[in-house]
Amino acid sequence: MSSATASSTSSMSQPRRGRSVIGKRRARSGIVMAAPAVILVLLVLGIPIFQALYYSMTDWNGITAHWIGPSTYLHEFQNPTFWRVLLNNALLLLAVPIAVMIPMGIAYLLNERVRGWQLFRSIYFLPTAISWVVIGMVALRFFAADGVLNHLLSAFGLGFIQTDMLSDQHQALIAVALTFIWSMVGTNTIIFLTGMATLDPSLAEAAKVDGAGAWKVLWHISLPQLKRFIQFATVLTLISAFTALFSLIFVMTGGGPGYGTTTLEFFVYQTAFSRGLFGTGAMLGIILFVIMAVVGLLQLRLLRTED
Amino acid sequence: MSGITVDELVPPESRQHAVTNTRRRRSPVKQILLFALMVLIAIVMLYPFYFMVDTSLKSNDQFLHGGGHSLESWTSLSKALPWGQQMVNSAIVSAAAIVIILVVSSLAGFSFAKLQFRMSGFVLMGVVAAMLIPVQSIIIPVYVNIAHLHLLNTYVGAVVVYAALGTPFATFLMTAYYRSIPDDVVEAGIVDGLSYSQVFRRIALPLSTPALITITVLQFIQIWDDLLVGLLFLQNPSQRTITVGLGALAAGRTTDIPVLMAGSIMSAIPAILVYLVFQRFLINGLTAGIGK
Repeated sequence: MSSATASSTSSMSQPRRGRSVIGKRRARSGIVMAAPAVILVLLVLGIPIFQALYYSMTDWNGITAHWIGPSTYLHEFQNPTFWRVLLNNALLLLAVPIAVMIPMGIAYLLNERVRGWQLFRSIYFLPTAISWVVIGMVALRFFAADGVLNHLLSAFGLGFIQTDMLSDQHQALIAVALTFIWSMVGTNTIIFLTGMATLDPSLAEAAKVDGAGAWKVLWHISLPQLKRFIQFATVLTLISAFTALFSLIFVMTGGGPGYGTTTLEFFVYQTAFSRGLFGTGAMLGIILFVIMAVVGLLQLRLLRTED
Repeated sequence: MSGITVDELVPPESRQHAVTNTRRRRSPVKQILLFALMVLIAIVMLYPFYFMVDTSLKSNDQFLHGGGHSLESWTSLSKALPWGQQMVNSAIVSAAAIVIILVVSSLAGFSFAKLQFRMSGFVLMGVVAAMLIPVQSIIIPVYVNIAHLHLLNTYVGAVVVYAALGTPFATFLMTAYYRSIPDDVVEAGIVDGLSYSQVFRRIALPLSTPALITITVLQFIQIWDDLLVGLLFLQNPSQRTITVGLGALAAGRTTDIPVLMAGSIMSAIPAILVYLVFQRFLINGLTAGIGK
């Protein structure tokens, strides 16, 4: 994303031949060719976000809407369920560093070129191809009271920790987070492998010659070079945690028990399509959008200060 | 470098080099430990696949009370889940959406990269910024708009939504790709008397095949695996995509787990096949976002 913005500004500074006949012809072709994509995005993404903003201040039920005003937001901020849902999102944030660091470790090991590392890479990346719906269904059986997790625990002599995570208000979110971490492994590992392939080996060699140990090399030489990749993986993981878990939650817990696993994105769906409160749903969607936009801007800011 | 190289990010020679380099100086014990760790992680990652296959080969009774295998869940699968029809629905919807995405994003990418018109940089930024909009933020108005157009429960409605959701990233990728093609190539075509659309069709488009494949693979997996859009826009069981059919079956609290697993395997096969064949393109598309 950031690179697109950076490069788009550079293209604007390119010399223009606006006055020549060719230049005019070119501009006309340019507009005609860009139009379909622009119109499609505008109609299905651009305009609806403003519609959502408008309807968020009404009592819309999908058919009729009466204007209420920005007080709808204040009203929602007094709803304890809303804060419960946001808390779930905040707790999911805690899974993000783990979902980034484990793959970084795996990529580091793969980068050591163990025998068959290419096969391992393909295996680790494979879950990326399957749907959250499928992952959720298996996870449901894994965490169930008579499921695999409890079998494993008793097999290792830990039978006394028997859990029924999914029927516990607090533990259910942990089960969702663990599943989420598992399914981010492939994507993030690939990102870090790509990053490690760009490392300049001569720098590490030079440091070793100068007597730096493996950890020192990793900390002072390799990690700083990987900064961009760490950042990309973190942002991608965060965006996924907030906007890609709908299907997982839908299948695994349905948002429950209670509101135990209802995140903001799931709350949008529930509010609008289960309870018919389209206006409130639109408002929750806008709040989600604002959170994501802040994340996006922060990332741009970080990139800029580095450069 | 302003654009991204969508093709191989690392030259193969340097990889070879690294292989010989690191392997030589590791002790065998360390090697074995490392290998064992890799195998352990592989088991963790593959376990769900094993679980699906193993469970699907049991009857519900065998699953609940342990022991034995049968094909019962496979023979009764089509009763619970019209998977044949739903796979066809998935194929229709994803193919149509992908065609739209490819057409609009390659046209727009070429325009943004090579035919800068007034404010084109600004327009590109707007299109790419749409990537930041979460589906959930616009899905309610879109749902009502589509309903007003009487396109709910038609393929058209779902296809348009999927196409629009995929277009921003595809346009970003195509623009970056066309930027990596020298301007001279376009100029030469114009000097030879071609129009800009001819240059696009005859020269630029064929050159961008790898990027087009990357977009196709990414979008196929995205759309095939999606639940939310299909759930809202295709509500008739006969029109549902396979993932939605499966999601609905699971949410209906079906207690026949083996049947659900058999259905999961069916739904996952196409995406896994595409993954196995086009893995490299998928990785390229994923890492394209990092380009500097």
